[in-house]
Amino acid sequence: MNWAETIVGCLKQHRIRFLNYVPDAIGERILQVARNDPDFEVLPLSREEEGVGVVCGQAIGGGRGALLMPTSGLGNSINALASLPLPYRIPVPMVIGYRGALGEFNPTQVQMGQAAPAILTALNIPHFILEREDEVQTVTDGALKLTFALESPVAILVSTQLTGWKKG
Amino acid sequence: MIARLDATRHVVSRLTDELVIASLGNAKYDLFQAGDRALNFYMWNSMGMACSMGLGLAMAQPRRKVIVLDGDGALLMNLGSLATEATRKPENLIHIVWDNRQYQLTGGQPTHTAFHTDLARIAEGAGFEHVERAETLPAFQAAFDRALDQPGPWFLLALIGPETTPVRPPRSPTFIKHRFMTELGVSH
Repeated sequence: MNWAETIVGCLKQHRIRFLNYVPDAIGERILQVARNDPDFEVLPLSREEEGVGVVCGQAIGGGRGALLMPTSGLGNSINALASLPLPYRIPVPMVIGYRGALGEFNPTQVQMGQAAPAILTALNIPHFILEREDEVQTVTDGALKLTFALESPVAILVSTQLTGWKKG
Repeated sequence: MIARLDATRHVVSRLTDELVIASLGNAKYDLFQAGDRALNFYMWNSMGMACSMGLGLAMAQPRRKVIVLDGDGALLMNLGSLATEATRKPENLIHIVWDNRQYQLTGGQPTHTAFHTDLARIAEGAGFEHVERAETLPAFQAAFDRALDQPGPWFLLALIGPETTPVRPPRSPTFIKHRFMTELGVSH
């Protein structure tokens, strides 16, 4: 199994049925695997902020949804995260294609990429970066377990180091 | 011009087991005034997210009608959601917008709908097939009853007046969430 198949396997093991996404090259590799599985329902979003609301609605309905988005999407979601799942205590598993870090070619990605861990920390949102193939199963499984135990957002940042260095 | 509380009372009078999400502000206050119930989810912030929550809830609970009580100012912050709702097309979603053409809680500043912006036409353009606009209470009552009875998704725009309600629903987000989910019989 490659890293994308491992992540999809973890999502499935945790009964996450809804995959709500804004397109991103890393997330797309995950969705290409997930689309082959009829147990997932994939929803395209107009903006990542909207996805926070959608996942929260799925959650209070007893469903489980994940939010797949690029790093820029975290920036687009901050107040929605801070004022909805955090105070209402709603799990939001986030799988974020991590840009603006090691090997980044686009200078305008770097500010958000470098700020992302600090922003998540400032919001008390636990976050984990996937860098190596051998940690994908353990870290993804643990992060998903955490969001449901905590009833609060948790972010998995999927690096280009793991996924093959996006080329400019 | 429709009085929002009268229209909300009509909605509440028709409810059995429907799931209701109220956007922050007077949409929420009037819902509480018209009839508090466990399956009312009151939003206190994340302006604009009521209809996105409604979409997600409709996806997770396809056998229940989901009613969103939204505001014009809130929807203007999340117009993209109309496209997402229309793309996903949940038959059980009723998206109501109380359009009073102002940001009432912050001093009554006009929203864009006070000028040239027409949210019903935007909903049509986004792809909603069932769009109604009501300017009188009887028209709203008839439109809502149609939406309850027939598959959607529905977009109902109600032009409302400036009246407000002094009552306030419970503020505790965890209480609101737990009460809702307990009544619905679900857990995370």
